[in-house]
Amino acid sequence: MSGGAEAVLLGAAQCAFVLAAAPLLQGIIRKLKARLQSRSGPPVLQSYYDLAKLFSRSETVASTASIIQFAAPWVVLAAMLGAALFVPMFAAVTPLTSDGDLLVVIGLFALGRAALTLGGVDSGSSFGQMGSSRELAVGALVEPALLLSLAALAIATGTTRLGEMVAVGAHDGAGFVDLQWGLALLGLAIVTLAETGRIPVDNPDTHLELTMVHEAMLLEYSGRSLGVLHLASMVKQLLLACLLANLFFPFGLQGHPDLASYVVGAALLAGKTAVIGAAMALVESTVAKMRFFELPDLIGSASLAGLVAVAITVWQL
Amino acid sequence: MEQLTAAALILLLAASAVELSGLARGLRAGYWLSTGAAAVALAACVWLLADGTTVGLDLWSPAPSLDLTWRMTALGAFFGAVVALVALFASLFAVRYSQPRRLDDALYPLFVLSMLGVAGAGNVFTFFVMWESMALTSFLLVLSDGQGHQRRVAALLYLGMTHVATVFAVAAMLMLADTAGSQDFGAMGLAPAGPGARTSLALMLAVVGFGTKAGLVPVHIWLPRAHPVAPSHVSALMSAAMVTTGIYGITRVGFDFLGPGEEWWGIALMAVGGTTAVLGILYALMERDMKRCLAYSTVENMGIVTLAVGAALSFRSVGQDELAAAALVAGLLHTLNHAVLKSLLFLGAGAVQHAAHSLDMDRLGGLIRPMPVTAGTMLVGAMGLASAPPLNGFVGEWMLTRSLISLAGTGSGVATRLAAGGALALLALTAGLALACFVRLFGMTFLGVPRGEARPIREAPALMRLALGGLAVAALAAAAGAAGLVRLLQAVPQELMPGTGAHVEQAHRITLDGGGSFSPVVVAILLLVLAPLPWLVLRLTLGATRRNRGPVWATGVSFVPSMQYTATSFSKPLRLFFRRVLVPEREIKVEYHGTSPLPRRVQYSGRVPAVIEERLYLPLRSLAIWSAQRIRAFQNGSVEFYLLYVFGALVVLLVVAR
Repeated sequence: MSGGAEAVLLGAAQCAFVLAAAPLLQGIIRKLKARLQSRSGPPVLQSYYDLAKLFSRSETVASTASIIQFAAPWVVLAAMLGAALFVPMFAAVTPLTSDGDLLVVIGLFALGRAALTLGGVDSGSSFGQMGSSRELAVGALVEPALLLSLAALAIATGTTRLGEMVAVGAHDGAGFVDLQWGLALLGLAIVTLAETGRIPVDNPDTHLELTMVHEAMLLEYSGRSLGVLHLASMVKQLLLACLLANLFFPFGLQGHPDLASYVVGAALLAGKTAVIGAAMALVESTVAKMRFFELPDLIGSASLAGLVAVAITVWQL
Repeated sequence: MEQLTAAALILLLAASAVELSGLARGLRAGYWLSTGAAAVALAACVWLLADGTTVGLDLWSPAPSLDLTWRMTALGAFFGAVVALVALFASLFAVRYSQPRRLDDALYPLFVLSMLGVAGAGNVFTFFVMWESMALTSFLLVLSDGQGHQRRVAALLYLGMTHVATVFAVAAMLMLADTAGSQDFGAMGLAPAGPGARTSLALMLAVVGFGTKAGLVPVHIWLPRAHPVAPSHVSALMSAAMVTTGIYGITRVGFDFLGPGEEWWGIALMAVGGTTAVLGILYALMERDMKRCLAYSTVENMGIVTLAVGAALSFRSVGQDELAAAALVAGLLHTLNHAVLKSLLFLGAGAVQHAAHSLDMDRLGGLIRPMPVTAGTMLVGAMGLASAPPLNGFVGEWMLTRSLISLAGTGSGVATRLAAGGALALLALTAGLALACFVRLFGMTFLGVPRGEARPIREAPALMRLALGGLAVAALAAAAGAAGLVRLLQAVPQELMPGTGAHVEQAHRITLDGGGSFSPVVVAILLLVLAPLPWLVLRLTLGATRRNRGPVWATGVSFVPSMQYTATSFSKPLRLFFRRVLVPEREIKVEYHGTSPLPRRVQYSGRVPAVIEERLYLPLRSLAIWSAQRIRAFQNGSVEFYLLYVFGALVVLLVVAR
């Protein structure tokens, strides 16, 4: 990015985009899932209605809760919006190219997880604490898988700035597609399932105590706080979809964009994320949820895929 | 500068003398003087770093070629600054916290003095005088706080291991002094030993010797036993400052005395560091005692720093001094950040113990309400060590991770590049586990409601809060001013590898290798804007919402505190995920009423054994006892025989070392 004004505009556009589009992606996934299971399902716009309702409802907070539970939703949302400024969306650039890279995005996801789990622990509810305990255990396994999948691309492109990584990929075209590309894609895809709380890792539709992870942490929340946490997790889902779409399928994105290429990029992004959402719905409908204690096998294989991708990449340099 | 250094020395000696004499008992003058001395020493060290100069001070020469020489270089000044910074706040905390005890109070300033002496030693002799003094004073400080079998075992284990380690360290230093033809550190640095079998041996000896002090696996076993049993201000000094002297030793030998070396040196250090980091944080997650958990986390962080030093050695062995400088600065920055955060957490644990009379995370809970200041400062410490951006713990890890990606991608050998990839995996796993560990530490102690019996609890006294607040502010400042710190720390690689590291950073931004940059300030501002903004927008558009208070939901029955998770159950998923590494043991005893299928009593017990101790050290101990039995044959009580042995040893020495 060159101009300061352009950076501010793009940053505002990216934040507005993730806030506005995240519930839509959630709605599309839910609708497709329902159709795949021969249900009619809620309307595509249902998530917006839910959020609007939650935002204006009063809250009931446990008498044992402290300021942590009050602050946590806003910190989680801030971490996700902060990460949105370092993820390339409509072109192979980010608003704040020099102030953060993929490691900062991973770090902000960790900050979000820290706030979310502390909020889950706060009231003393055993459900919240169970959810936090599980979320952190899964998160510890996800961390290497996420870093290694992205590091394989970073090593290949010689940069950790996500915008430049996308630009190199877009420039190389299909020559970019090789074995390590596939392994890294597999790794990040599994990470996306785990990080968005989807089957086979977690079940977003359950309130059964034995299987809950993400929903358990949210049990003590209500009203506006609950809405903010829902919105934050949808934003995270969209961010991961953007990373998958733009890093692994970077076609059509410009390194030095003008207004027209931003519009083209936005249309492409909408298409790519919708396809990824459809893939997630398909996985959720065809795969059974794993036992919690078998998760290391799944996420470990994502780490292994990432590690092999890194190994092949450095071998070929 | 010499005057400032001398002033710090004299103040510390005076502090010791005052406490030993027993004058001004109630005033805690020794700790006040130590606080002042630490402030002076900190100023002197930072000045030296900023100035990039070296000061020397010849103290005393008891015999020819045995000189006590003080010579503060940039590398030493950095570690001196770390010690002084920790000592400043630990001493302040101790004014109110420590129980008056004449011997301890007199030893404490000497402990600080000897750590500063290790960082400032100008030759091999001075270094080991200070090193021994540091080991003995800290041993006595661990031992003399109260009684108890466990404490004595821990202290004696520490004493034994530190002395075995010193043998290795002395051997390494003497080999290198022999190669350089001088015992003076300056001369040894001017004649780097270079690659070769002999220097490789020296490096290995140094890593074992100094690595024991730093708590590297598998020679870490004393650390999680000895650090927690000392009073909290001493724990803070040991776990935040004393461990760094081990890193100082490894860096001094690896960079200054050896020079560019063999490719496998860096790989070996990265392997040791990465393994140490993962195992350290895994065991930290299994502990229910706050201070033991923190001590294991020290093992983890020293592993991370060792990993950084290894990466720097790898870069240097292929002549990429710019990147070597960046990786070394990453390690130093993490050393500093860890020192600030770990002393904050150890002192905070002291405040918790002072208020709640317990460190058992399975019993604590809900302390955020009676102790808001302690909780707030410890939240900074815990999130910093969990390396959550934009806090200072994240900055060092960002630089290290970025360096490893460069190491994996640039012109080193394939083995080094693959090792860097493996190190990335270990570092990321460590970061994920550290997040779990510190959410658990903070959450189980300060959130929820008390799990044991509820007692009235009062916030820590003002002076203790002042020390905690000072450290929390230091941690936040280290995050906001990270780029400035990186610029300051450049003095160290510039001294060790002249002509490097001039443009690793710019303004508020840290840039590495041209392909990645990070501005902690910008990220912090973003978060400070983005958190309240949605709150404000929703409040202005949809209005404020009512917040009702109600009981915790517990599936319809009324909530009791024992329904909560404990620290032990909180880490159960990870205990099971990593069961092949941790080998947890559990036993469930069920008693029945006669033939009734309903159990009368169920008893559960579980533990995570220290596998390395049981599988590596117990056989070693048996071997030592067995060989001692054999050697007893020579000890027949006759003076004539003993004189014969002395004569024989002399002849052998004359023949071998002629």
